[in-house]
Amino acid sequence: MKTKSNITYNEAIERLDVIMSQINAGNVDIDKLSSLLSEAHELINFCRSRLYKVDEEVKKMIAEIDNDTPVS
Amino acid sequence: MNNNEPLSLYALNNIVRNVLAENMPARYWVVAELSEVRETAAGHCYIELVQRDEDTNEMLAKARGTIWSRVYTLLRPYFLQQTGQPFAVGLKVLLQVTIGFHELYGFALDVCDVEPSYTIGDMARKRQLIINRLVDEGVINLNRELPFPQLPQRIAVISSSFAAGYGDFCHQLQNNPYGFVFYPHLFSSPMQGAKVEQGIIDALNSIAANIDCWDLVVIIRGGGATSELSCFDTYDLANNCAQFPLPIVTGIGHQRDDTVLDIVAHTRAKTPTAAAELLIHTMAQQAAIIDDFKQKVVSAVVNRMESARMHLSSTVRQLPVAAKLCLQKHYHRLELFEAEVKAASPRRILSLGYSLTTCNGVVVRSVDDVEPGAEVVTHIADGKFTSTINNSIKHENKE
Repeated sequence: MKTKSNITYNEAIERLDVIMSQINAGNVDIDKLSSLLSEAHELINFCRSRLYKVDEEVKKMIAEIDNDTPVS
Repeated sequence: MNNNEPLSLYALNNIVRNVLAENMPARYWVVAELSEVRETAAGHCYIELVQRDEDTNEMLAKARGTIWSRVYTLLRPYFLQQTGQPFAVGLKVLLQVTIGFHELYGFALDVCDVEPSYTIGDMARKRQLIINRLVDEGVINLNRELPFPQLPQRIAVISSSFAAGYGDFCHQLQNNPYGFVFYPHLFSSPMQGAKVEQGIIDALNSIAANIDCWDLVVIIRGGGATSELSCFDTYDLANNCAQFPLPIVTGIGHQRDDTVLDIVAHTRAKTPTAAAELLIHTMAQQAAIIDDFKQKVVSAVVNRMESARMHLSSTVRQLPVAAKLCLQKHYHRLELFEAEVKAASPRRILSLGYSLTTCNGVVVRSVDDVEPGAEVVTHIADGKFTSTINNSIKHENKE
């Protein structure tokens, strides 16, 4: 797994999907379950903060686009 | 009449006058080209008519003529209204004349009437010849095939600097409702009379010198249907325009059929104002495309964000459930193990009434393991007791 600082949103989501399918399959080593959950928690927090930040930026830019004067 | 006696010049001219008057008293319809038209202060018009050889252009015949003011005051506006041309040099005309000869002024035709439809036909024929030539040379569509600029902002305008048309054009551009910016620049040229052809060609050459500075050329002129248009029906002008590397828009303000210039131009607008409208409309179309992109980009971004949000929140919802389920499965598996272990426990078997016998601490599995007199310990569910072996019987049928 990449460290939190250089992982992309898509990589984080892909990793989450893998963790989810492992847990869903039910064959996860119990010793690893808590570390997987902790990793998932960290990934979710990372994704949430990326999403929130991008959402803020996007909203700001959309407002700017909408407020633009007619193209000339 | 005595041929031997010399005549005075007057007498000779007088004879000619009388002969002509007696022998050619009728009115004749004559076809000729106007080579000179001179209006006098008194309202008369003196003309010169010529006939040239069709092929060599050599002068074949020539005659002076007079249109007296009583005729000319009617003929002049009638001709203009019918042909769209002033009664001027260069036109081919069909005139009704009487033949006159004056002792002092000589031979002159006295114009009584004009047939404008002949001139119209002749102009159309000449136009058609020019068009045919442009078609034959493969140039007639060249300008029209150029791509029209998507943002026609840098406009090289060919017009007369004092004509109202240029003012109308700029006014229309500057006051467009969208606030588009245009950069018209005037290349001055006469827009009436014989100097039009060379003037426009010179202007085109000036534009071509800095071709990268311009998006298109607009040729405009104010004025209505009565203005002279034959100056736009020349081969050299049409050929230059057709082969010009920038699209040309015309707005030379007339109602009749297209001039040859209009035909070769990329786009014909009726008036300078209409030409400006065309450019504004082209800009507006591009603005609409950009606005459309704006909408599409915004909604695509909004959709992507929404799907990312939904995916993440569904993961957040599912993760604890999945983790709990996973734990439960492990618990369940442990329980099953536990039950199996329990089922295998000796205590449970003893409680069912079975017993376990040991001899010297070793589990007795066969009668061969004990001798009569040996002491054995029997374990049952709630305790144990000691016994001494009296005898032992081995089942014969058991292996």
